Amino acid sequence: MQYELRYQVIEPKRQTYQNVIDRFGDQPASRYLEATLDVEPRENFHYRPTWDQHRELYDADYTALKLTDPYSYTDPRQFYYTPYVTNRANLHDEFTKQMAYLEERELLAKLPTAWRTVLTTAILPLRHYESGAQMVSVGGARFAYGTSLEQCCTYAAFDRIGNAQMLSRVGIALGSGTGDLLQVAKREWLDSEHLQPLRRFTEEAMVTPDWAEGLVAVDLVDSLVYPVLYRELDEIALTSGAGAYSLFTQYLHTWFKDQRKWLDALIKAWAADEEHGAENREHLSRIVATWNPLAHEAATELARVVDHQLPDAGTVAALARTTAAAEQRWAQVTGGAA
Amino acid sequence: MSDTLRQVGIDIQESEENRGLVAAIRADNPELTVRHLPGLVKIQAAGQIVINRETVERELGREWETGEFQLAIVSFAGNLSEWDDDQIIVKWEH
Repeated sequence: MQYELRYQVIEPKRQTYQNVIDRFGDQPASRYLEATLDVEPRENFHYRPTWDQHRELYDADYTALKLTDPYSYTDPRQFYYTPYVTNRANLHDEFTKQMAYLEERELLAKLPTAWRTVLTTAILPLRHYESGAQMVSVGGARFAYGTSLEQCCTYAAFDRIGNAQMLSRVGIALGSGTGDLLQVAKREWLDSEHLQPLRRFTEEAMVTPDWAEGLVAVDLVDSLVYPVLYRELDEIALTSGAGAYSLFTQYLHTWFKDQRKWLDALIKAWAADEEHGAENREHLSRIVATWNPLAHEAATELARVVDHQLPDAGTVAALARTTAAAEQRWAQVTGGAA
Repeated sequence: MSDTLRQVGIDIQESEENRGLVAAIRADNPELTVRHLPGLVKIQAAGQIVINRETVERELGREWETGEFQLAIVSFAGNLSEWDDDQIIVKWEH
């Protein structure tokens, strides 16, 4: 008896799902594309939303910024559920280890007094900012048209709540395992003069009817606050005996780099859209013109408080540099119209 | 000596991660034939196959080191005539 083993290729009837075949033909496609392209319902809605007679449940008109084809934009990170969760779980594990180290060595408790004050008056209250930014991202997750856009917003919303949690954990560790400092930070957020411009900004971004405008507005603050507080200040921290600050801010800084990847690509896609590009650029310039001065004011107040505690930090100067860079970036995006 | 270019080939393991790599190779080498076998993607081209780090990074949406190429390939036919931080070129050198 003899068996002959032969190699036989069985051609699959189809290489991928219909939603991908419709666009790219029948060829193997990534999970990201399969889980993203044309997934959102487009037609046969039974009802219009009761609270908005003029728009459909899913409607491109929830924002002035439009894409001819929302699926021409794809997340450069190619996040769908699994890679997103894996990626962030790893990041959070690392953060937890870092916190354990900080707590074990009581590094946060040993921070110089000025740095402690900076943390409670300027950094910890930012968890409320993160919370507000989460709401804005959730708005995008609900109202953005096209799965490729809205899933980025969804993940950004989860990220924001994660950032708020990181700050909370730092606050708890700094308050020797109690929530006392978080209470203090909340009072600061509600009452301190230096945080009111930011609080007002956040609340106004939350109630902006145009979801994309809110998203871009929050990004304007992000582009100032993140590089200044979590990058430049972190370098000062390293040289002035506050290494603990640097250890936890690196995660926020890393997150911000990641956030930039999808958001920059989206802004670029809006600005370069073949049909709506010109209008989009105009809208973007208008958004920047409206919100940027407020964002700048909010960030300056924060920077002043930091400089007051740490005269050598030069945070206000760092802010000016960051502002110049951000404005240049916007001028490029909007073709000098901003 | 004949003028016809010999085929070079790379066999890449078929996986989610490697799909981006294949897409990048496709983008950079217009004269490519790609055959999908069970668990394997056979790539062939006349003369040479170029893999650029930048293209791969764009397809994968993350940073990629050319060293990671080793994790993706099953075998190849040709010589690795260039392998630096930015580019890998597979071709016959003699």
